[in-house]
Amino acid sequence: MDTLYNTHAKLLAFDFLSLTQSPSDPTSFLRKGIPLSRAETVGVVTSRDLKPDKFLKFVVDDGTGCIPCILWLNQLKSPYFSRRNPCDVRIIADLAANFASEIKLGVVARVRGRMTAYRGALQITVSDVVVERDPNSEILHWLDCVKLARKCYDVAAQ
Amino acid sequence: MASSAIKSGALVSLQDLHSASPFFKQGASLRVTGKLQEYSVETAIAIVIDGSANLKIDTQHLRDLNFRVGSIYQFIGELFIQPDNEAILHARVGRNVDGIDLNLYHQTLRLLREFQSNHMNDQTT
Repeated sequence: MDTLYNTHAKLLAFDFLSLTQSPSDPTSFLRKGIPLSRAETVGVVTSRDLKPDKFLKFVVDDGTGCIPCILWLNQLKSPYFSRRNPCDVRIIADLAANFASEIKLGVVARVRGRMTAYRGALQITVSDVVVERDPNSEILHWLDCVKLARKCYDVAAQ
Repeated sequence: MASSAIKSGALVSLQDLHSASPFFKQGASLRVTGKLQEYSVETAIAIVIDGSANLKIDTQHLRDLNFRVGSIYQFIGELFIQPDNEAILHARVGRNVDGIDLNLYHQTLRLLREFQSNHMNDQTT
């Protein structure tokens, strides 16, 4: 049942947006009763709001819905990272800044991250971004989502 | 859970975007794909075609996109239906998708609609 918990579940936006936060564990989100914590989406970036050295908020539209995403850019100032090795923190900060520079309006991005809720809305807290160049990548992602839902995620729920 | 304020562009083929279609609504957010037939630099109006169907696209808000007649483009935006019933899509974003497998794209759209409809039915029963 919990084998999907740490997997980046490939979900269509309408499916992702219908998840419900677990009442017993706020880091877990339920799909047909199965707890999930990470997601992968592919879609067109249709909104971008940058707060330098703080965060980049953007929206990924996969044609079935819009998934809000947040990419944190505050690693060098956040107390959360203050106990970690400064070299490691610098690498994480540079990586995040590089992801932010790749997220532009109209690009197709593959985004992975943790499912989180902010003011009642589900979002992805981004850990990984790849800008897709292949015009068929989104189609193949849709097919992956449908196949995985039918053969894996729905089966786990039975 | 609350949804995002940005509206998703519903996936629709130009063939399915006729006046009797449920997608043919004032202000509908759509994602369309077609081959560029004409483009006017003066008006920033493009015409894309797919088979016998065509659609006007207002591209005035798009930046960094080069228009090349014969290339395939995808646009997301809002549909405006003029008094003469002609539709024009006011594009928010656009991109060149030369190399896309349009047969696979159209087949996948049908599969997605079926999957989404079944999923919604499962949730309501």
